[in-house]
This record gives sequence, structure tokens and C-alpha cells, in this order.
Amino acid sequence: MFENLLPPLNDHNLPYPDTIHPIVVHFVIAMVLFAVLCDAIGYFTRNPRLYEVSWWNYFFATVSIFIAIIFGQVEAGLATPYADVETTLNLHSLLGWSLSGILAAITGWRYVIRIRDPKVLPVSFLGMGVLLTGLVFFQVYLGDLLVWVYGLHTVPVVEAFKEGGLL
Amino acid sequence: MNETLIEQLKGQLGLNGLPYVVPIHPNLVHLTLGLFIVAIAFDIVGVFFPLEKPVFKFLAIPATRSNFFDVGWYNMLASAVITFFTVGFGFYEILLASPDGNVKSAWGLEAMETMLWHGVGGVALLALIVGMTIWRGFQRFLWRKDMARQVDWGYLVAGLAIFGIMFVHGTLGAQLASEFGVHITADRLLRMGKDLNALRQ
Repeated sequence: MFENLLPPLNDHNLPYPDTIHPIVVHFVIAMVLFAVLCDAIGYFTRNPRLYEVSWWNYFFATVSIFIAIIFGQVEAGLATPYADVETTLNLHSLLGWSLSGILAAITGWRYVIRIRDPKVLPVSFLGMGVLLTGLVFFQVYLGDLLVWVYGLHTVPVVEAFKEGGLL
Repeated sequence: MNETLIEQLKGQLGLNGLPYVVPIHPNLVHLTLGLFIVAIAFDIVGVFFPLEKPVFKFLAIPATRSNFFDVGWYNMLASAVITFFTVGFGFYEILLASPDGNVKSAWGLEAMETMLWHGVGGVALLALIVGMTIWRGFQRFLWRKDMARQVDWGYLVAGLAIFGIMFVHGTLGAQLASEFGVHITADRLLRMGKDLNALRQ
């Protein structure tokens, strides 16, 4: 039903030149990691100005993750999964959707903390940031496997898939 | 890089041509680009703050103009620091690259041209990012120290121009991976004529 709405697929099996999801995730990965770093430095050097830098980075990351998921779903749907790729792709999708909820909740928590007193950060929030960093690292690793080990949306894999070599 | 020279390291390299399971450079690229683009974006938000005030008020998000410029400064500084590592790992991984020599990219370039432009472009971008950080620092701490608007228009225009360079540069890097198959395990197996069952754990 939607096939006719998209331009024809190219040799990456995409309706546009290159994958977009790995570009949008720049703004989730970099912003979350930098927000946690700013919180940590701000906490230990008692510099509340960095808490503001952190908050705006969380805010930007939260907006970005939903755009990342939209492109992620489109590109996962158009991927040519084979053999064991599916397990990794499913886990990456599941954790990606979960992270959108987790990140939105954390940013909401931060909003409340900031409304009450923008100069004070509870240490529990910092701990949550460390846990979030762990989840983000694992999610990046799964995405890395999909691109760099399984080669989804790369020309050679798409070509082999179309020739039936991967089935 | 010359295949026979890479052969010298044969015992240390995996199927993807690297001594570790996934390349590190593309992961550092997330940080370089994310931090740089968001730095410029928040400086733009800071510059147009008077127009946005009602929006933040409507959203019930307290916002102070100087905080946006703080984001612009610290994110740019972090981008400059991390990019030394991005370029460093980029050169390590490009020295170990063995791209498909029979392929032309979507832009009509062959592997060697693409690698050279991506390598030289990376050094140029590092210089530009460091230059922008120094420029930004002078504006923040000296030239515009007492001004409400911490960046001048030239800086923002330069930032947007660098977005353009980053787009071209990033596309070349993406082509090295997804068209020439550099450091992608599945692509290298296919080029060796093997099937992908070797990827099963």
C-alpha cells in the first residue's frame, strides 16, 4: 500500500541515497554522553552552569531520539536481514524504542529537578546518567554490528541478497 | 593501503581487517558531528532568543539567553577535543583499509580518490573545528564579553558553511563503508567469494 508513495529503491535498497538513521543518532549519542559528562564535571567542580548545558543537551537528545526511531524503522523495514542478523536487529529495535521512553522519562525528571532548583543536582540523577550511558553504549554496539559486521544497506550485501545468495 | 604491506600484520587482524570487532572512527564521528552541529544550533537559538521567548514561556520551560551561549561554547570545545581522536583513529583505520578496487561510488569516484579526499578533508575539518573553537573563545571571553549576544554573524555563517563541508565529507566516508566495503565483515567475505554463514556465532 505504501510502496507507491516512496521513490524506487536504489542499490542500497533505500528510497534516498544513503542511510539517514546513523546520522540522526549523532544527536542522541553525542548529546546524552556529553550531558552525563557535564553533570559529572558540574557536580564535582560545583559549577551549576554546566547543569544547564547538560539539561539542554538532554532536551535535544530527547527530541532527536524519536526522529532516529522513525528513520530506524524505515531502514530496518527495508533491510535485507539474513541468518543471525534478525536477533541483533530485533534487540536493537527493542532497546531503541525502550530508550525513547527511558530518555523521555529521565529528561522529564530533569525538568522537575531544574524547575525546583537549577543549581542543585541530586547524586541519584548522576547515577541514573551512568546507567543510561551503559544502555547507550550497548545500543551503539548493536547498531555497529548491523552495519560493520552484517553490512545491512551496503551495496555488496544488497546485491547478494537480490541474487538470492543470502537466503 | 598496499595489500602486501597489510599482510605484514596478518596474524593480528580479524575478518574486517582490524584488530577489533567494529571500527572506532565512525563511533567517534557521532561525537564530533553531534557536538559541533548542536553547538552552532544553540548559538543560533541564543541569537534569536528575543523571538523565541514566548515559545519557551508557552512550553513552561524557563530559559535564559546566556545558557544557550554556554551550550554553544562547551559543545564546541568538546567537539574540538574529541576530533583529534576521531582523526587519529580515522588514519589508523584508513591505513588498514583494503577497498574494492573495481567499484565506482555514486559520485563517480574510485576508492583511492575517495580515501584521499576523506583523509585530507578530515585534517581540514579538524583545523576548521579548532579554529572555530578559538574564534568562539575570543568572542566569549574578550571581544563580546559584555554583550548580550555572544557570537557575531560571521561565526554563525562560517558554522553553517562547515555543515556543508561535513555533509560532503561524511558522504565520502559513508561511501567508503557502504559502497567500497571498507572494514565491513560481510562485504569482505562476499568479495572473497565466501557466503555469509561464516558470520554465524
